[in-house]
Amino acid sequence: MTGTKVLMNFEVTDTSHTLDAYLERGGYQTLEKVLKSMKPEDVTQAIVDSGIQGRGGAAFPAGRKWQGINPYDGQPHFLVANADEGEPGTFKDRWVLEHSPHTLLESMAIGAYSLAARHNFIYIRGEYDRPWRRLAAAVEEAYAAGYLGEGILGTDFATDIFVFRGAGSYVCGEASSLLGSIEGTRAYPRNRPPRMTVSGLFQSPTVVNNVETLSTISWIVNHGAEAFRATGSDASPGTRLLSVSGHVRRPGVYEVELGYPWGRLLHQDCGGIPGDRPIKAVIPGGISTPVVPAALAGIRTPDDLDGVLLDHDAVREAGSSMGSGGMIVIAEGTCMVRLLHIMLRFYHQESCGQCTPCREGTGWMHRIVERIVAGDGRPEDIERLYTISRANDGTTICGMGDAAGFATMGILDHFRDEFTYYIEHKRSRFEGNIECPGS
Amino acid sequence: MPGIVIDGRELEAEGGQTVMQVALAHDIPIPAFCWHPALSIAGNCRVCMVEVEGRGLALACNLPIYDGLKVHTDTEAVRNQRKLTLQFLTLNHPVDCGICDKAGECLLQDYHYAHNGSPSTSIDPKVHATKHYSLGSRIVLDNERCILCSRCVRFTREVSGSNVLGIKHRGDTSLVRPAEGRSLDDDPYSDNVIDICPVGALLSRAFLHQSRVWYLTTTPSVCPGCARGCTIDVWHRKPEWRLQAVATHRNHTIARVTPHENPAVNGPWICNKGRDLAALVERPRALEPMVKGEVVAMDQALEAARQAIAGAQRPLALVSSWGSNEELDAFKEHLAPRFSCAVKEDHRQQPNEPGDDHLLLRADKNPNTTRARALFGETPAAVPEGTDLVLVWGEGFDFDTIPDGVATIVLGAFDAPENGLAAVFVPLSIHTERAGHFTNFEGVVSAFAPCFPPPATVADAETVFPQLAPQGATS
Ligand code: SF4
Ligand code: SF4
Ligand code: SF4
Ligand code: FES
Repeated sequence: MTGTKVLMNFEVTDTSHTLDAYLERGGYQTLEKVLKSMKPEDVTQAIVDSGIQGRGGAAFPAGRKWQGINPYDGQPHFLVANADEGEPGTFKDRWVLEHSPHTLLESMAIGAYSLAARHNFIYIRGEYDRPWRRLAAAVEEAYAAGYLGEGILGTDFATDIFVFRGAGSYVCGEASSLLGSIEGTRAYPRNRPPRMTVSGLFQSPTVVNNVETLSTISWIVNHGAEAFRATGSDASPGTRLLSVSGHVRRPGVYEVELGYPWGRLLHQDCGGIPGDRPIKAVIPGGISTPVVPAALAGIRTPDDLDGVLLDHDAVREAGSSMGSGGMIVIAEGTCMVRLLHIMLRFYHQESCGQCTPCREGTGWMHRIVERIVAGDGRPEDIERLYTISRANDGTTICGMGDAAGFATMGILDHFRDEFTYYIEHKRSRFEGNIECPGS
Repeated sequence: MPGIVIDGRELEAEGGQTVMQVALAHDIPIPAFCWHPALSIAGNCRVCMVEVEGRGLALACNLPIYDGLKVHTDTEAVRNQRKLTLQFLTLNHPVDCGICDKAGECLLQDYHYAHNGSPSTSIDPKVHATKHYSLGSRIVLDNERCILCSRCVRFTREVSGSNVLGIKHRGDTSLVRPAEGRSLDDDPYSDNVIDICPVGALLSRAFLHQSRVWYLTTTPSVCPGCARGCTIDVWHRKPEWRLQAVATHRNHTIARVTPHENPAVNGPWICNKGRDLAALVERPRALEPMVKGEVVAMDQALEAARQAIAGAQRPLALVSSWGSNEELDAFKEHLAPRFSCAVKEDHRQQPNEPGDDHLLLRADKNPNTTRARALFGETPAAVPEGTDLVLVWGEGFDFDTIPDGVATIVLGAFDAPENGLAAVFVPLSIHTERAGHFTNFEGVVSAFAPCFPPPATVADAETVFPQLAPQGATS
């Protein structure tokens, strides 16, 4: 067991996503409590006190973001749920959308009240079909039952939620470009300043939160910030949904209390590695976070049940980040050169092309590694990859340029010898394995 | 007033300005591809990075100043990042300056030499793209040279409003493209994108491969295309680069026209008609003075005209709205007392030609109606009963409206059938051959200078008018 459950706290059945099931679990009572007994700023204060950090990747304190909006300034405000879960290896929001869409809707209604947002959007990636159908059905149920729309629960509070389907671009998961996509313009990430809480959707103050972050709000408001702080670790309160994939026996979505031992999650909860191979490395939070060698994290073999603790600070100390919670497990015997090639192909294809370092750099890095894989690498290619990666560090409009660089440098830092070997021998030290060897 | 320090200099600035604006105002150079003073901030080229004390690199173009802001434009980190950005920008750029019209006035060239200077560190093949993509009858696009700064896109959205251009696809395969079913022919201001394109991606069909820009020089002038009177630069061959053997006509013809930035009239823009100034002024000329169709010397023509004017009972003068302030003043002084005068529209709005619009264009297609009307009133340009002599200065008059038997004196620059039928014809210089001023519809006066010497056989209207005055008539 991975500790207290904030989101995965019910049994998933064929009907557990419906309104009836949600009401049976006590659903929408928090919204009623908020509308009838709390002021908008009380809700925001609870979020601030809970210490919850964004679950989308950047781990920015969610309460601080909300405080950027003054609900009484008379302007239109927007609350947007980012359900464009596009970070490779990440599929945890999908669990919420598929199995508990009302948790998100109730939380958004609470958020809309706190932020004085008359209109809210859920931006869901186009490839999510069942999640979208369930979400759309849930929105209809919520309207029919009077939890959305006008005169909610007999009060004079009114708010609407629109579900907006994306068309399959990675960059649309970036909060500001997502807003452009909703507005109907080309989805280019926007430069800051201005911050989105100053000028976001349709030039109005806007809060964009990840689905998981938002969905946690009703729990926090219901149980109180103290209860939330009591879970997880001191620096990283609460739980996180982790989507574990790659070379593990039981891939899937796991809710863990922050501070849970990494080794136990992978070797026990996830059933370890097929063929009982040791773990070579783990990408902890989607491919944009640097890879962590298993030995360095103390999670290499089934005997390593502790290792680095899964909280934001500890993973950062291990040289990476919990990112989006998309954990990719890499077994011993995998070729890291080919892995990087696949990752760079993705970045190259998904760079929006707006800013110079990322537009040109991702393609350049992809071509270099492609050449190495084809057996035509040069010793100086490794330095070239570093130079390009560094030139993207903090110099791009959105985080994608940085991410491509971090991912590349992460692999080069720890597995440089595999690249040297490949370049020298014109072949992979691990037969180019990407699938779990021997499984 | 916020205090800001750039490179150790304490500078005056206004709240709301960006670092780029303050630097520009104090002549501190910061390279910029995507930033343009008349367009919104895109912040995509990343070449303008400066170092902010305590914060690291930041975009000068998108950084609002604040009290205590300290910026350095030339640190190791800044130089390094500029160099890398230029490496990126030339990574897939063909560097075909040798056949590129922009060479010599290209920001990418300039910045390469100023901030990079090293050959590409890449050994991988370049990404290829369309080399000659038609954006209509006036402009072709070389996508390989495009650095995707989006200036052209923002221009059609924010300035001309035609919304023709956008960017499609993504990453290093992004392409500037017109919207479906559109072309830049829909945009009467399209050619401005050629100027603001920092590289040689947007090319003028008219100017394509016509000249290297360093063989050319500019003369400040005023567009006569409409009542806006945009200030322009007329580009023509430098004297020291005169062609000696082939195509010598190019020594005295217009190579191209660009806007001469002028906040009081046209800002940094002009319309496409202004670009086509050559079509307005480089038409077949009338070069010989004539009396009743017989070629004569200028003296004889002027003498014949003077006599006709002196002998007329009820002479009418149709004054040109293309005349300069100086010419109109000379006419007023020397000839107006002798004539009844009316202002003539030399050029009229053609079908399919835009009239008044949101940006520059005016329906009045004459540059100096304002001054002409101020001097000669609003009388319509028609021939009243009893007129026995009509002096027609300039173009655009329908000679069929002159009753039979009424003599005409024609003063004009261009070849026309009426010239030979007139009692006297006096050939004049055109506005690219003389100096003067036009007064635009808002009363703003702008000066033009001669670009070429006039042909030997023609005269300037300003010197002709005093000579036509009957002796004693003006005193
Ligand atoms: S970093 Fe990449 S994805 Fe982000 S804006 Fe720049 S080009 Fe687009
Ligand atoms: S064509 Fe020129 S102005 Fe337009 S985006 Fe490309 S480089 Fe910029
Ligand atoms: S707007 Fe009028 S004056 Fe200006 S360039 Fe066009 S035609 Fe000439
Ligand atoms: S000029 Fe600032 S990013 Fe282009």
